[in-house]
Amino acid sequence: MAALTELGPDFYRALRFLVVDDQPAARQGLRICAQTMGAFLVEFSAGYQDAIARIRRAPPDVILCDYQLGGERSGQQLLEELRRFDMLADEAVFIMVTAEQAYEQVVAVVELAPDDYIIKPFSPERLKLRLDRVLRRKRFFQPLYVAKRAADFPAAERFLDESRDTDEGQLHRFELMRQQAEVQILKGDAEAAERVFDEILAAHAFPWARAGKARALVGQNRLQEAREIMDRVVIDAPMYFGGHDLKTQICMDMGDHAEAQRTVEEASRKTERNYVRKRLLADAALLNGDTATAVEAMADVVRNDTTPGAVTVADRLMLVRSLVEAGTLMEAERALDEITPQRLETAGLDERASWQALRALMKPDAERARVAGLRSAWMATPFDAQTRLDIVRAAMALGDRELATAMTHALFASDEIRRVFKVVRDLFEAQGMSPVFRELQRRAALQKISHGDDVPPEAPLQGV
Amino acid sequence: MQGVLDILSSGVHDAKNQLFLAETLLVQAEAEHGISLDEARFAIELAALRLSRVLTAYKLQRGLDTLSISMQPVGELLEEAVLINRKHCERLGLSLTVAHQRPVLWPLDRELSLDILSNALQNASRFARSRIVLSAEEREGFLRLAVEDDGAGFDPPPHTAAPRLGVGLFVAREIAAQHQRGGRQGRLSLSNGGALGGAVFELWLP
Repeated sequence: MAALTELGPDFYRALRFLVVDDQPAARQGLRICAQTMGAFLVEFSAGYQDAIARIRRAPPDVILCDYQLGGERSGQQLLEELRRFDMLADEAVFIMVTAEQAYEQVVAVVELAPDDYIIKPFSPERLKLRLDRVLRRKRFFQPLYVAKRAADFPAAERFLDESRDTDEGQLHRFELMRQQAEVQILKGDAEAAERVFDEILAAHAFPWARAGKARALVGQNRLQEAREIMDRVVIDAPMYFGGHDLKTQICMDMGDHAEAQRTVEEASRKTERNYVRKRLLADAALLNGDTATAVEAMADVVRNDTTPGAVTVADRLMLVRSLVEAGTLMEAERALDEITPQRLETAGLDERASWQALRALMKPDAERARVAGLRSAWMATPFDAQTRLDIVRAAMALGDRELATAMTHALFASDEIRRVFKVVRDLFEAQGMSPVFRELQRRAALQKISHGDDVPPEAPLQGV
Repeated sequence: MQGVLDILSSGVHDAKNQLFLAETLLVQAEAEHGISLDEARFAIELAALRLSRVLTAYKLQRGLDTLSISMQPVGELLEEAVLINRKHCERLGLSLTVAHQRPVLWPLDRELSLDILSNALQNASRFARSRIVLSAEEREGFLRLAVEDDGAGFDPPPHTAAPRLGVGLFVAREIAAQHQRGGRQGRLSLSNGGALGGAVFELWLP
């Protein structure tokens, strides 16, 4: 294998380092290590919030972060937050520093792993060895980062094809294969992605590769097979919480909301401050009819997901929705009032329609005229399933059977009906409209069989 | 049981944090005074390694440890094991060389494999006369990692009596056995002879 040039002190002198540790003596220790490697620009941060502020202001090239940050915050949470809000470029290096040997098991199963980790104590020489490797890897993958940022899939595939047989490419063979599968998924070629994951699995049954195969199967609508894989993955790798999330999504897609909630609840209990997972828990709980859990999860998100911009209008709407479903209308109104006109201005079409539909659901008489003015535009807009469901609910409250039927028809026409099937069926049943629902279901089935050729969606429905 | 483990883990982590501070203070002293304190630093790392090993042994005995397998560059594993032990061997007048070409990658637990190799290299450095060779190759579908020296060999020879199992060997044997793939299991092998005529420590990983 070709020898790789060592990265000398001059190289390190130009890099901006950030050392994150809540212990002053440990920060000092890491600074000494960084300076021994040749680093000149070394900044400190004493904890989670301060680190985020510093990184936002001036993104460093290298972050050396202790796993324990005090105040129940961990370096892992910091990393996840940085990645969630895209505060770190692909080229930036994040190295976790820890005294815990067991961290290896943590890093093997987290959704977002650091670029590397090092277990204390270590010499500056060892830290440099690890950092050199990460920096060389980043340099090797740089054309891929650029291509992915530009969504230039041909360029990404070209890089992956051309790199595989090079000396350095062999060193990164599995990462190249993983990236190849991810690019295929992004391109929408789930079958090609499945083939690559199979190739990886032939070498070793990594949980992430099994989950990757499951994602590829979901992309081909082979939900049952994906579910079987993930059922096993969450048993074999109980700390692989990303696996729990994927299984939850699959269960929800299959309409098995009870299992979805059970699965995500288990993971959420062990990752209390993961607010992305809390949102998933709220989704699953609400679909499962467990409004108390949905309210609790979303209230936690709105109250405690403190990174600026983290709580969106969609989150606040989810809280309102959960409160309405729980029958606590006063609280729902208060939560709805939190969505100020300024906040609503930043929202998309789906959120605006949901906001209006939820208002109508709470105060049908006051909102009747406004909905009447919007309903034909709503019927013509390709909303997501959640918004359509909000409109179905509002339409039921307003006694607008035609609107409810049109929205449900649109839900049936999309694959998303499985997720909300039971909820919609119950809504129709409560309104004495079960025959209409069955007719919509029958038509959707016929349309599927005949590829939508012979059952025009505008054909009138009996009972509407 | 988890309670005891938590207490032990917390104590070991505290100690390792302190050892890290001690090592960085030595690094600072080296820079300030232009001196080399390699052996003191090596002793600190060795102490930390032994602390970790005791904790690992405790977890293994209670079936609490699970490996963390990932696809690792074999050359990098050897390079790091050498980096940890090179200066110590140099001070003892021992040459430490690496023999490895393929395989490039292998599924293994990096940190635990590194500890096992490091431990084997330290043992070899106590008994070698002048040479230690660390090697890796693919043999019979296994990754064979070996540490050989030109010392007098194990006494008594491993084939005549069961070796006395210290914490290091106990951990190495258990960790090897936990590496499983395609129905095959890792193992440890100790023998005398080899290319250098001394002790041969082999870690076979499927």
